[in-house]
Amino acid sequence: MSLQTNDFENPQQARRHFLKQMAAASAATWSMGQPLLANQVQPTATADACILLWMGGGMAAPDTFDPKRYVPFEVGVPVKEIESTFPAIDTAVDSIQFTKGLENLASVMDRGTLIRSHVLPDLGSILHSRHQYHWHTGYVPPQTVACPHVGAWMAKVLGPINPVMPPFITIGQRLEGVGESEELKAFTTAGFFGSEFGPMVLPYPADAAKSVQPPSSMKENRFGNRYRLFKQLVDANPNRELMSDYQQESLLRSMDNAHRLLSSKDRQAFNIEAEPKESYDIYNNSRFGQGCLLARRLVESGARFVEVTTEYVPFLNWDTHANGHETLVRMKQEIDGPIAQLIRDLESRKLLDRTLVIVASEFSRDMIMEGKPGSNAADQTTDPVEKLAEMKHYGQHRHFTGGSCVLMFGGGMQKGRLYGASSPVRPFVAIEDPVSVTDLHATVFTAMGISPKTTFEIEGRPFYPTEDGNGKPVMDIFA
Amino acid sequence: MVPPLLRLSLVFVVLGVTGLRVLPAADIDFSHEIVPILRKHCGECHTGSASQGDFSLNTRKQLLDGGAEGPAVVLDDVDASTLLQRISSTDPDQQMPPEGPRLAPDEISTLRRWILADLPWEAGFSFAPTSYDPPLLLRRPELPAAVDGREHPIDRIIDNYFVAAGRSLPQPLDDGHFVRRVSLDLTGLLPEPETLQAFLSNRSTSKRSEYISELIANETAYAEHWLSFWNDLLRNDYDGTGFITGGRKQISAWLYKSLITNKPYDQFARELLAPTEESTGFADGIRWRGTVSAGQTVEIQFAQSVGQSFLGINLKCASCHDSFVDRWKLEDAYGLAAIYAESPQEIHRCDKPLGKIAEAKWMFPELGQIDPQAARPERLRQLASLMTHPDNGRFARTIVNRLWHRLMGRGIVHPLDAMETAPWNEDLLDYLASDFVDHGYDLKHTLNLIATSQAYQSQSQIISEEHAEADFQYLGPHAKRLTAEQFVDALWQITGEAPTNIDAPVSRGPVLDSTQQLPLVGNWVWSSSDGSAAVPLAGESLTIAKTVSLAALPTRATAMITCDNSYALYVNQRRVSQGENWEQPQVVDLLPYLRAGDNRFLIVARNGGDAPNPAGLFFAARWQMPDGSQQSLGSDREWEWTSALPQAIDNGNAVTFTVIPSDWQPVALVANPNVWMPRVGPAIQKAWQEASGLPLPMVRASLRKSDFLQRTLGRPNRDQIVSVRPDLLSTLEAIDLNNAQMLADLLQSGAERITAAQQGDPKRIIDWLYAYALSRRPTESERSLAMESMGNRAEVLEVEDLMWAILMQPEFMIVR
Repeated sequence: MSLQTNDFENPQQARRHFLKQMAAASAATWSMGQPLLANQVQPTATADACILLWMGGGMAAPDTFDPKRYVPFEVGVPVKEIESTFPAIDTAVDSIQFTKGLENLASVMDRGTLIRSHVLPDLGSILHSRHQYHWHTGYVPPQTVACPHVGAWMAKVLGPINPVMPPFITIGQRLEGVGESEELKAFTTAGFFGSEFGPMVLPYPADAAKSVQPPSSMKENRFGNRYRLFKQLVDANPNRELMSDYQQESLLRSMDNAHRLLSSKDRQAFNIEAEPKESYDIYNNSRFGQGCLLARRLVESGARFVEVTTEYVPFLNWDTHANGHETLVRMKQEIDGPIAQLIRDLESRKLLDRTLVIVASEFSRDMIMEGKPGSNAADQTTDPVEKLAEMKHYGQHRHFTGGSCVLMFGGGMQKGRLYGASSPVRPFVAIEDPVSVTDLHATVFTAMGISPKTTFEIEGRPFYPTEDGNGKPVMDIFA
Repeated sequence: MVPPLLRLSLVFVVLGVTGLRVLPAADIDFSHEIVPILRKHCGECHTGSASQGDFSLNTRKQLLDGGAEGPAVVLDDVDASTLLQRISSTDPDQQMPPEGPRLAPDEISTLRRWILADLPWEAGFSFAPTSYDPPLLLRRPELPAAVDGREHPIDRIIDNYFVAAGRSLPQPLDDGHFVRRVSLDLTGLLPEPETLQAFLSNRSTSKRSEYISELIANETAYAEHWLSFWNDLLRNDYDGTGFITGGRKQISAWLYKSLITNKPYDQFARELLAPTEESTGFADGIRWRGTVSAGQTVEIQFAQSVGQSFLGINLKCASCHDSFVDRWKLEDAYGLAAIYAESPQEIHRCDKPLGKIAEAKWMFPELGQIDPQAARPERLRQLASLMTHPDNGRFARTIVNRLWHRLMGRGIVHPLDAMETAPWNEDLLDYLASDFVDHGYDLKHTLNLIATSQAYQSQSQIISEEHAEADFQYLGPHAKRLTAEQFVDALWQITGEAPTNIDAPVSRGPVLDSTQQLPLVGNWVWSSSDGSAAVPLAGESLTIAKTVSLAALPTRATAMITCDNSYALYVNQRRVSQGENWEQPQVVDLLPYLRAGDNRFLIVARNGGDAPNPAGLFFAARWQMPDGSQQSLGSDREWEWTSALPQAIDNGNAVTFTVIPSDWQPVALVANPNVWMPRVGPAIQKAWQEASGLPLPMVRASLRKSDFLQRTLGRPNRDQIVSVRPDLLSTLEAIDLNNAQMLADLLQSGAERITAAQQGDPKRIIDWLYAYALSRRPTESERSLAMESMGNRAEVLEVEDLMWAILMQPEFMIVR
C-alpha cells in the first residue's frame, strides 16, 4: 500500500492534509480552476474525480459488451452470418452478458452501469482521430476555435483536488511518431483555455515517475541546489522591482509550483514501481494495465481527471481492419484484469463512490457494415471476403457508428444497471434510449458537478462543455 | 478523497486567458434562442438607432422601461406583458410585427419562458452596434509640434498624448536593454557578446538607428524570425492536421522568399488572395476528410481567414448566423466565400440551408465590388485588388497594428483581431497606416519607424495585474514573453547546439546574383557492384574517399550530400554529418573541418533494404578561397572506394582505419540515376543553391517542425489562425523546463563547450553568460552567488546548472 493511501485513509484526514498543503502553498498554488460565479447554477457533484479508459480505434460492441449470435471460425462460413466472434459469458448481473475474455470485468458488473445504446455521428468518412476529437471535446472538427478536451473543462472549472497535482493527465497515448499524431494533438489540449489547463501527457506509465523527477542525469541534492541558485539569483536581480509585473510574477509562481511537485511526496503517485508487488503484478500485463494502476495512484493523490488509453495507432489495437478476432483476444486480455482490479481497488479504498470510471471508444465495429445504415462511408476493410477462408478474415473489420457500448462505474452511477439496447438483428443500431456523445458528456459533466450549460466566452461566442450547451444528462442512470 | 465542499474554499486568483469570461448558466440560451427571435421580428423597428413608438429593446433596461405605451414586460405577471400580447395578437391594429410573417407559436413560448426566467440577458450585450466603426479611409493626421525637441513622428503624437493626459513619459531605455530588445524584436536573436560590447563602446549619437538598420538589413535573420509570425497568422506549418489526407498545402517556400525579398505587403496579400500554385495553401485552408459543418467548408474557411488575417475582422460568428456581437452578417461571410467558391454556395444558418444562393461580394462596396458573373480567377483578382486598394484603410491599419503589437507588446487596437475596437490613439494608428501606404507597403520601413522612436526606446511599464482592457491607458511599451522560437534560438546561440537540418521546404539565405552561382557538380556514384546488369546487394557498405589539396584555408566552404540509403561524411577523420533519407539532401558547413594542404574526404555509405536494390551517393562541395575565387568538388570517377570500413573513435565523432585498405579502386557512376533524379533532383538543385549562400547562419527554430520543447513554450498547432501567443508560463510548462531531458542534454553539451572555451575560469564564464543571455554584466552580488556555486575551477555540471538558473530568470524569458 502506498504512502498516499495511508495518508488519506479517511476523508477527514485527507481534507486536513490538503488544507495544510494549501496553506503552505498560499497564493502560489497550481491554478485552482475558475471560481464559480454566485449565480451560476451548478449541479451537485456525485463524483470528485474521473477516469476515462479509452479504447482507441473502435471497440467492437458485439465482440465485447453486447454479445450477438456467436459463430465460431470455420472455413467457408459466409461472413454475413457472423455477428459475434466470441461466445457470450454470464456476468455478476443476471440480465447482462459479456463475451468470452472479459471474465474479470463480468465479475464486477454489479458495480457499474452498462450503456448499450451509445450512438456516434457518421462523419461521412472515417478518420479515427476526427471521431476521437469529437468524443474528447464534444465538437466535430474542424472548428473555428481550438476546443478544450473534456479533461481541460474539469481542470478549468474544478481545478485539481490536491493543489500540487496536475488536474488533467493523459496516459498511454504517444503524440509523436505515430500515425495521425497531428490530429491527436489537435484535441489533446486545453484549446482556448490555455496550456495552464492542458494535459500532462504520460505515454509510458512505467516512465511516468521520470516526468516528475529531476532529469535523469541529476542527483536529488543537485536539483535542489540548482533551484536554490535560481531563487538566489532572482532575489539578487538588480531589477527585482520589475518582477512585480504580472508576467514575471506568474512565471515565478509557475516555477515554484513545478518545483513543489517535483520535490513533493505526491510525486510518488507517479511511480508505479512503488506499488506492492502483488498488486503491481495484476496490473502489469500491458502498458494499458500499468496505466490503470497509474491512474488509480494519481486519483488517490488528488488528480481530477485521468485518461488511460489502449493507445490509438492506425491499424493496431482496437483498429482491426483484418484479423480482428485474434487481435481482440489480446486486447481483452489487456483490459480485463486491470480494469476489474482498478474497480476493486477503488472500492476497497472507498474511492469508487466518488470516482467516475468510464470505458468508451469512438465507435463500434461490425463484420459487414461500414458507418451505419444509409452511410456513404467507403468500406475500409483490408481483406473483403464473402466467406471465411482464413483466420484473418474472422473479426469485426468495419467501422460502425450506429450503436456502441459505454461502461461506467462509481461516481454516482447505478450499480448493476443496463441502459439502452441495440437491435437484436443486424444492423446493430441503438433501438432503445439512444445516448449521443453530447448527452453522454452532459451525464459525465453533471456527475462532476459541471452544468452542461456552463458558459465561457471566446471571441464573442458563448462556448459550452457540451455542443451549444444542448447536452441533457441521462438522469436515469444516476443512483 | 476530498469532500466536495472543500472546493468552495479553493478560491484563488486564476491565470485568466484574455478574451475569456464566465457567463451565467441558465435554462435560457440568450444568444442562440432569444436574440435571433428579437432580431428577426422586432429588430428592424426597435433595435439599433430605430425605436418606433419610443420603444427600443437594445438593452435589458430599455426593454423593461418600455416605450410610449409603458413597460413592455411585466416580470411578476408574465401574461400582462405588452410584448407578449402584441406578438400574440391577431388584431391588425395591435399585432407586432405589423407586417410580415407572425411569430411561430414556439417562438412566442420561448419568449414567454424567457420572461418567466426573469429575462436573463448576456452581460454587456446590446442590440445597438456598440462597437466602434472604423472609417474606411485613412486620414493623414497633421503631426503636433514636437515636445522637448523630440521630432520623430511617433514621438510627436505620443508625447502630446502624455502632455494632454498630464502624465510623465516613461524613462528611456539604457543601451544594454535596447540592444537586447531590438535584436530580439527584429531578428529574434540575442545580440552576441561581441556585438553588445561594440555597441556599448560606440560613442556615435546615431548608433541606435545604425544598429536598427543593420538588423533590418540582415535579410536571413529577419526572414527567419518573422517567418513564425506569418506562419501563425497564415496558419502555415510543416506538419499538422490535414496534411495526412492531402487536404492542406504549405506556402513555406513562397513565404520565405517573400520575407527575404521584403515583398511589398500589398503585393504579398494579392499573391495570397489570387494565389499561384505555391501560395495557394492559405486560400485553400484545411480540407478535412468526410462531411464538415456548413460553417467550416473550405469556402467559409476562406472567408474567415481573409477576414481575420487581412482585416482583423472576425467572421466566425457570421459564418453561422448574423453576428450577435458586431455588424457582420451571414451574407458577408457567404459573399466572401462565393468569391472563392468553384460552385454555387447555398447559404446555411446554423447548419440549416436557407434555400438561397450566395452572391460573390465583399463588405466594402465603397471601394468597388466583385463582379459575381466573372470567372473565379477574375473574382479573386478583383478581391485582391479591392483589398489592397490604397483607400482601404482597414487593410493597412490591421497590419501596422500587428507590427506595433510585436514591438510594443500591445496593439493600438486590441485585441488585434477585433479591429472594430476603438484604438487608444486614432492619430497614431492612422499616421502609421498612411505612412506605410505612402512607403509602398514596406513592412521593414514601418518596423524601422517604430524602432527608431523614443516611444519604443523607453522602459516597459510595470503591469501589476491583468489590466482592464476597457480603461486602457498607454503608459509605455509592454514587456513581452520570449516566443518558443526565440527561446529555443537563444538556447542554441548560447550552447552552440543548433541542429544542422531544417524541415521547412525553403531555400535558405538571400537570393543570389549570378556571379555567386556555380554550376552543380557531382554524380550518383557507387561501388562497381552497380553495373549495367548488377544491382547492389542489400546492406552493402563501402567507404568512398578522395583527397583534395588546398593552397590555403578557404574563407567559406559548404557541401551538399545525399545517399540511398544512408551515409556518414568525415573530413580529415572528423564526422561532419550523417543522413538516412535520400529524399532530403543535407547542406553542411565544411569550413571547421578543412585545413590548408591535403584534406581527406571520406564517406561511409550503406545500401538498405532486404533484397538487392539500387544504391547511390551524391556529393557536391564548394569553397571560396581568400582571393575570392570559387572552387567545387563533386562525386565522380576520381573518387575511390573500398569495402573496408573505418573504425569509430572519440565516441563516434571521428574515424580511423586500423589497417589501411589496399584495395582502393575507382567508383562507378551509377548506370541509371533516374532511379532518384525525378524525385530528388529539385531538392538537390535547391540544396546546391542553398550551399552557395554560405556561411549558413545557425539553423532557426522557425525552420523546424514543432517539437516537445517548442510546444511547451507556446508554439501553437496551426490549425487555427493565431495572432497572439500566450504571454504567461504555465505550471506544466515550468515542469518541462525543470526536467525535460531534451533541455538537460542541450545544456550539458553547451556547458562542455562553454567551459572549454573559457578555460574553466568561473568569472569569465559568469560574465560571458550574463552578457549573452541578459546583455549585461552581473552585479557583484550576482557574481559572488554564481562564484559560490562553482568554486575556483568551473566543472561542467556547475556551468550547466548556472546556465539553467540564468535561462529561467524572468529577466531572460521576458523581454523588457
